[in-house]
Amino acid sequence: MGMNSHTSQPTPSGPPPALAVRGLARTYGEGAGAVRALAGIDLTFPTGTFTAVMGPSGSGKSTFLTCAAGLERPSEGRVVIAGEDVTDWSEEDRTRLRRERIGFVFQSFHLMPYLTAAQNVGLPQRLAGHRPDRKRVQALLDRVGLGDRAGHLPAELSGGQQQRVAIARALVSDPAVILADEPTGALDSATAHEVLALLRSSVDDAGHVGGGQTVVMVTHDPVAAAYADTVVFLVDGRIAGTMARPTADAVAGQLAHLDELVAEHSMGAAS
Amino acid sequence: MMRLALASLRHRATASTATFLTVLLGTALMGSFATLAQAATGPVSSTDQDTLVIMGAVVGGWGALIVLFAVVSTVGITVTQRETEIGLLRTVGATPRQAARLVRAETFVVAVVASAAGALLASLGGRALLEMLRHGDVVADSVRYQGGAAPAGTAVLIVLVSLLGSGLAARRGTRGPASITPSESARGSQRLRAWRVVAAVLLAAYGLAMGVVTVTVTAHDPDPYAAMSTSGSCAILVSLGLACVAPWLLRHLSVVAKPLLGSSAAAHLAAYNTRRRAHLLSGVLAPVVVLTAASVSVLMAVGTDSRTRPAGFEQDARTINLLNNVVVGMVVLFAAVVVVNTFAAVVAHRRAELHRLWLLGATPGQVESSVLAEARVVAGIGVVLGLVASLATVVPFGIARHEGVVPDGELWLPVVIAVGVVLLTLGSARSAVRRAAPSTGAVR
Repeated sequence: MGMNSHTSQPTPSGPPPALAVRGLARTYGEGAGAVRALAGIDLTFPTGTFTAVMGPSGSGKSTFLTCAAGLERPSEGRVVIAGEDVTDWSEEDRTRLRRERIGFVFQSFHLMPYLTAAQNVGLPQRLAGHRPDRKRVQALLDRVGLGDRAGHLPAELSGGQQQRVAIARALVSDPAVILADEPTGALDSATAHEVLALLRSSVDDAGHVGGGQTVVMVTHDPVAAAYADTVVFLVDGRIAGTMARPTADAVAGQLAHLDELVAEHSMGAAS
Repeated sequence: MMRLALASLRHRATASTATFLTVLLGTALMGSFATLAQAATGPVSSTDQDTLVIMGAVVGGWGALIVLFAVVSTVGITVTQRETEIGLLRTVGATPRQAARLVRAETFVVAVVASAAGALLASLGGRALLEMLRHGDVVADSVRYQGGAAPAGTAVLIVLVSLLGSGLAARRGTRGPASITPSESARGSQRLRAWRVVAAVLLAAYGLAMGVVTVTVTAHDPDPYAAMSTSGSCAILVSLGLACVAPWLLRHLSVVAKPLLGSSAAAHLAAYNTRRRAHLLSGVLAPVVVLTAASVSVLMAVGTDSRTRPAGFEQDARTINLLNNVVVGMVVLFAAVVVVNTFAAVVAHRRAELHRLWLLGATPGQVESSVLAEARVVAGIGVVLGLVASLATVVPFGIARHEGVVPDGELWLPVVIAVGVVLLTLGSARSAVRRAAPSTGAVR
């Protein structure tokens, strides 16, 4: 695993990591009221890995994702996607980056309500000005088990089915990295399992349609995190540890420990 | 309940503004004409009484139809947009009745304030209208404004109609099961309500029947204005009929319009949005149709009249053209405000959806042009339907005045009006989408 906070340079021989952030910091507001959501983190996500980012609320997980996706510019630090430093790209270029190099999976699915499943999957290609590759769209829908629902509107699909469509959409442009924000937050545990297994297989099935991907998933659920290769824990905008080959129990234990630390910290600050 | 309603109103300023402005201007417009009818109850000659009643009741009547339709449809849009939130209220224990009451309470607050202000405007507008009639020697100088009963009555009527509109929408919106699932999709609401079909058939049939009466009966009347009195409102009636089934028309006609949009991503999105969520955008289509039909038909009829008026009717002509110009002016102003308003309300509601498009990699320009493409579809379909509806007045009146099916002049008028209406629609879409444009940030 290249998963530690010191490997900030890509290895000279291998391909560049799918995603790397260096000294990433983000401050909201100014002066005394400023909130430091990210306090300078270094992370590298090699291609073909599945990483969960966890932490108590307010730990900076969402800010990390927002900055990594190029939705927001960091206050300091760099974001490097597949070897390209995208930090200073214009809004227009970062938009193109989102639809061509990043696949998104959101907590609330974010499908367009007036497009069918197949049209939703093809949307990133449409926005890029291409005609969607029908075969690829259908292959991806088959892959997520919804080959027979291509013509359905989101309202005609269950929550789990909608999230699977969203995963197919994230895979359609064969992105450098898939960023998932609480992808199972709105699903029951059985459906969550299907979705997580899909994300897992998109990393593992190199050589298949939509395989060999890199997934970075923000979650608060230890069971979800256990699908990942590595878990990164964030507290107060800093990395508070990593865990390789996580189990749900170990992750839950570590989270409880972090919560205690946060509670002690805030009580200390209050007194 | 009232406190919750007030808090909720503050939370959705754009949608409340749409209802507020529609009710305000609607009351002002209807109330102004109602004061004419009321002035007829004062000490006036029987000729003046006739004139005032015709102007107030007949002409005000078309206006009233348009106003009432606009109020019901605007209130309906703002209520229907809240399905998700109503579902949420239901899950935390609100009964359907309570949820519906909240919606009615909100409408009530907005409508009372707006119609009270509208009644004030109407009392001023009514005075101005009377002054204009006296000045133009249409009625005797002795005719006096008869107090505020008419504007006040109009205000009460409009509040009741608003409540009826929100009641209809709320009943539909709150009947379903409690749910937190956002129901922003189309399929559930694709079926046209029965009242819409019935109203559409009645209005259109009435309008067409009056057209037939114009050609067969009033065309031969010695009074040259008999034909105008029967054909004048035909186009407005037919356009209101079309407006009633606007969701259905938009859904089917947008399929026809799709090839005209081109093949960009924005056009692709607009084509499916207008088709599958026609119930949202039909709120804009309806006033576009009425605006086009009313202005084209009245102005064309005035043109035909000025070319074919027999000698000896100059005094009548002056009265009637004054009236027509006032009606067109008010209806155009009103419908234009409704178009701008409705677009603002519809787009503001879609802020989250536009933000989502941006998250998925649409440039801000693509987001904007997808909404503008929708506006092009709505404007194009609306103008065509409005022009078709205007034939219901133009053709019978032209035949009655021996100009035949095609009027002898002013054929540039429909073109100018069509361009104006399209620009208005596109302009209101642009300003609405600029205000709701996705700001950068937040993943959720």
